[in-house]
Amino acid sequence: MAKKYTLDELLIISAAREINDGDCVILGVGLPTTAGAVAKALFAPNATLMMESGIIDFEPLVPPNHIADANACRGFSYATDLFSMFTMTYRGFVDVCFLGVAQIDKFGNINTTVIGDYDHPDMRLPGSGGAPEFLSYAKRTVLTMRGGEFVETLDYLTSPGFLDGGDSREKSGLFPKGSGPSMLLTTQGVFRFDETTKEMYLAQLHPGITVEMVRNNIPWDLKVADSVLITPAPSDQEIDFIRRFAPTESVGRKLMYELGIINTLKKAAERVKA
Amino acid sequence: MINPKSKIMTAKEAISRFVNDGDQLIIGNYTVSTCAELVFEVARQQKKALTLYSQSGIFDVEILVGAGCVDKLISTYVYRAGGKEGGSAVERSLKDGSLSMEDYTNFQYNARLMAGMHGFSFMQVPEGSMVTDLFKRRSFMGEGKYKIIRCPYTDKEILTVPSANPDVCIVHVQRADKYGNAQYWGAMGSVAAAALSSKRIIVSCEEIVDHEIIKSSPHLTIIPAFRVDAVVEIPWGAHPSEVVGYYNLDKVAYALFLMSDMTGDGLKAWMDQWVFGCPNRHAYIEKYMAENGARTIDAIRAKAYYSAPANYGSAFDSCWDNQGRERTMGVTMEELNTILEERGLLRG
Repeated sequence: MAKKYTLDELLIISAAREINDGDCVILGVGLPTTAGAVAKALFAPNATLMMESGIIDFEPLVPPNHIADANACRGFSYATDLFSMFTMTYRGFVDVCFLGVAQIDKFGNINTTVIGDYDHPDMRLPGSGGAPEFLSYAKRTVLTMRGGEFVETLDYLTSPGFLDGGDSREKSGLFPKGSGPSMLLTTQGVFRFDETTKEMYLAQLHPGITVEMVRNNIPWDLKVADSVLITPAPSDQEIDFIRRFAPTESVGRKLMYELGIINTLKKAAERVKA
Repeated sequence: MINPKSKIMTAKEAISRFVNDGDQLIIGNYTVSTCAELVFEVARQQKKALTLYSQSGIFDVEILVGAGCVDKLISTYVYRAGGKEGGSAVERSLKDGSLSMEDYTNFQYNARLMAGMHGFSFMQVPEGSMVTDLFKRRSFMGEGKYKIIRCPYTDKEILTVPSANPDVCIVHVQRADKYGNAQYWGAMGSVAAAALSSKRIIVSCEEIVDHEIIKSSPHLTIIPAFRVDAVVEIPWGAHPSEVVGYYNLDKVAYALFLMSDMTGDGLKAWMDQWVFGCPNRHAYIEKYMAENGARTIDAIRAKAYYSAPANYGSAFDSCWDNQGRERTMGVTMEELNTILEERGLLRG
């Protein structure tokens, strides 16, 4: 019988499958680094994993705490700086990058800056970080959204997707041909972008999710692929790797915090006893 | 299949695969660690119509111009031997019209590579050169050698140079792994920018080392593997120039070359003997030792003065502690699996 998996493990492996052997990959913290670690360990041994702080060609041993975490690996091949990491991206040396999303519109434009009015925000989010340049110049960009929202109009355009759709991104003359978001991964499924209209469509559903459930979260009339695939389950080997490498990622944030707090209190009590 | 990503090959194969007639070829090294053997191999293979970039073109430029490989030269500093009676390959070729040359300052030349390395189309350089003949006299680059623009912030006139992205860089370093991670230390010059601005990169090194050595010293890496096309192990690959940690400048050999270079016939005789007369660097060094004695080579061999090791370690290399408990959540894998099952978090 195949091994059972968590939702987070399914998402991690879905992202990992976007990495091809030999790719130069920019990884953000959380799901992407775990995805990169799985890919490198199991099916893309020649991928070059990079973090925008200038850590190039690393093999994480534990999930990095942030994008400058040289403690998460045992050495790496090339130390450069953030400026050069971005110009490397600008020159087209990055094959795939991973970005988290707070708001997204149907053409894959993203907002990670603010919900509501910019000057008087409902929610002030982290901001751009490296996202705009990565989404502009990486050959492919995998977007991940958990807890974010689909909107007709973004409250703030942080990073450019396919702009107004169609050939508007290409026509702007600002971005390399073929660049832009290549997929959006959510807790319900996988969306891709139509080759001509550049509008996102539902390409894949996670097991147990229906098209209706997805439509409920989307304010426009969502296009759906003629044959929607079901996200393949992770293999036993993949599950074992992820759960051993990044157990806190496997269980999801909620359970991690719950168990983490219990553990901290328990240790404190033991210290008092001693 | 031993390793699909190994880029190790001979100098002969690397030059024949990655250097084409008509290419813009850049010498990666600056003054020291000259990629002598790769230069020799370009000469042996008689590559033609090259546009040659060299920050400071003495030994390398003289050989390639002398061998008739170069039509155009971009440099900041070229060699001339022997006072009024002397000369150089560059001077002879300028005189007979077979070479055109574009002069830049050291900084401007380097700025062009920095722009190319970072993907910018030009770079601002100090404006003083506008009054000089470097600015006024232009050869094959014509209008494109420099341009003046108005700064949008200060409204002042600023001098710019265009970016450079040569077709291929040849560069010699101390060590590299088989994937192409190239480590170099000493005078940094414009070595990294020369390599990283180029479309293809051929690295020669004194030693090919295990990947683990590279991983434990990433700050010595100047060219990452994913940019490199070929790795060639060539001990003594920079002789008669020096490689810190391996050997010193061979002043005698260098002086003999410079004396020969005073005349076209002299240079030709020297190259017949040392470049065309030796199929590779091994043969060159054997010949050198046979003629001058092994002690000549031993006398310039470097004694060790090791860099202090830097600690790249961290507290742990696994999420699981020695008792098999996850460090944040404090549970064993078995307990974790039970919790996931009980909470109904498992699917499939």
